[in-house]
Amino acid sequence: MIKDFEYFAPKTVEEALSLLSQYKEEAKIIAGGQSLLVVMRQGLLALEYLLDVKGISALDYINYDDGDGLRIGALTTHRAIEKSLIIQRHFKVLSEMERNLATVQTRNWGTIGGNLCHGDPAGDPAPVFIALKAKLKLASLGGERIIDVEEFSKDYLEVALEPDEMLVEIQVPTPPPHTGTAYEKLMVMKGDMGIVGAAVSITLSPGDGVCQDARIALSNAASVPLRAGEAERQLIGKVINDDLLAKAGEVASVEADLTADVHGSAEYRREMVKVFVRRAARRALEEARAE
Amino acid sequence: MKGELKELKFTVNGEAYELKVKPKTLLVDLLRKELKLTGTKQGCLTSACGACTVIIDGKAVKSCSILALQANGHEVTTIEGVADGDKLHPIQEAFIEHGAVECGFCTPGRVMSAKALLDENPTPTREEIREVMQSNLCADEGYVKYIEAVEIAAKKMQGGS
Amino acid sequence: MLLEGKFTLKAPIQRVWEFLLDPNTLLSCIPGAEKIERLDEKTYDCVVKQKVGPISVKFKFKSILTKVDAPNHLEFEGEGEDIGKAGHFVQKSVVDLKETPDGEVEISYKSDVSIVGKLAMFGDRIMRAKAKKVQQELTQAFSQKLRSLV
Repeated sequence: MIKDFEYFAPKTVEEALSLLSQYKEEAKIIAGGQSLLVVMRQGLLALEYLLDVKGISALDYINYDDGDGLRIGALTTHRAIEKSLIIQRHFKVLSEMERNLATVQTRNWGTIGGNLCHGDPAGDPAPVFIALKAKLKLASLGGERIIDVEEFSKDYLEVALEPDEMLVEIQVPTPPPHTGTAYEKLMVMKGDMGIVGAAVSITLSPGDGVCQDARIALSNAASVPLRAGEAERQLIGKVINDDLLAKAGEVASVEADLTADVHGSAEYRREMVKVFVRRAARRALEEARAE
Repeated sequence: MKGELKELKFTVNGEAYELKVKPKTLLVDLLRKELKLTGTKQGCLTSACGACTVIIDGKAVKSCSILALQANGHEVTTIEGVADGDKLHPIQEAFIEHGAVECGFCTPGRVMSAKALLDENPTPTREEIREVMQSNLCADEGYVKYIEAVEIAAKKMQGGS
Repeated sequence: MLLEGKFTLKAPIQRVWEFLLDPNTLLSCIPGAEKIERLDEKTYDCVVKQKVGPISVKFKFKSILTKVDAPNHLEFEGEGEDIGKAGHFVQKSVVDLKETPDGEVEISYKSDVSIVGKLAMFGDRIMRAKAKKVQQELTQAFSQKLRSLV
């Protein structure tokens, strides 16, 4: 049972921002609504103003050039990202991540920006974007600001948007040469929300194969998509072998803040963090070596 | 004002509509209760079962997870718009001929998922069919026949038998 | 869901016991508590608000002391519902206080909470995590408050 609200469907970013500056906390943005409507149907959300931004076509784009990297408009659908040839070529991990995100029907209507702004730590895109060192462009009538994806989530379903701000773009830099990135999550059925998940990016130095840089981010392992910095430090500056991968998984599982859920105990989920960090790291490493 | 009616202009199965709707109305409710297109089913209301699948601008979506007003300016196709008069669509024929219907509740959603798939990709692999059809749950466990029926339908639509 | 944990407070056990049963302490320490009143010797009347992102619920409930063995053992149970009708909950809790050799009091608790209704459908996952957070905040608030009083 959804409660009544007043509805606006701005057609431009400016229009949306001026509505936001007018209504601030009382306004809530809906994009594809694939997460929000589930909550609203349970009657758990009482809204004054709903701003439906799904029709702002100017925020539906995927652009790439070698210098600037990838730019994704916040209202690009998951399915468009999954199917984009540019993304399949240059950011395969994003396309793979999308293929296991919910169902085709949900991906057809749900947007990447909506997913990030919903702020669910179990979401798949955020950890992958953290591993890829992506940034977010946030806009308000006062101007724009850019923040790191890892700074965006604040708590369960809470993100760093000011009441008059909206997310407009995701910016993903082109990874350095000899970089591999992979995402793995534990699912009961394909498309399930991950019981836990891990995104790992590894950059090797060309000559000696030493790990120059590593990024590890976890989904559904804390109140926010969690960057596992200590686990990264297990790999950086070393020639990675299986023992180091296992060590990184162990350390990440300690950094995680896990609770029991319907799928398993905190202990089980901790074990799975170890396994999935190792799995994703192994694939990232193989890709980095193959480059 | 909260709950104030808003204008919705869209087409359903090729027919243009201009309606006034409450913003909180879900697309599935508008289709079933206002337009009396009850072929679209309402199953779980948590975006899990796929019984409410319709096609918007060529893409399969869950009508229980979309506000009716979000369909403004779009083309919606429901199960009622799939057959050509009395002539069933090849997907519907294949479902019937292959016995891919159990109790039938999830069938409209499945036909819509299959149609969106075959319109976009006339020769899908079995894996591609499975990927799309997995999002339509069947309480009768009739999964294999559905997948085979979509394969048969694809052949029919290619002009084969 | 079963919530359990232990924490220590540095104060005489009798002091800790009184502190834990004082409605004013509870009101200032329980995250989101809006009203905690003692109706009679055994009954507390409570309103507690909780928020997860854009979702907020306000639970109105009575908590009844079912077993009181001062200053070591306490059992209480309660039942209540969200004023927005999002859910109904039942809880049974046991609290034990024990003096440690180094002059502290160890408080261990076990709480069995069942939530039914829309709230339960919405997400076991997020509720459990939220409960964990509330526990942490609560024990922190108890220690701070007690320290400020000693």
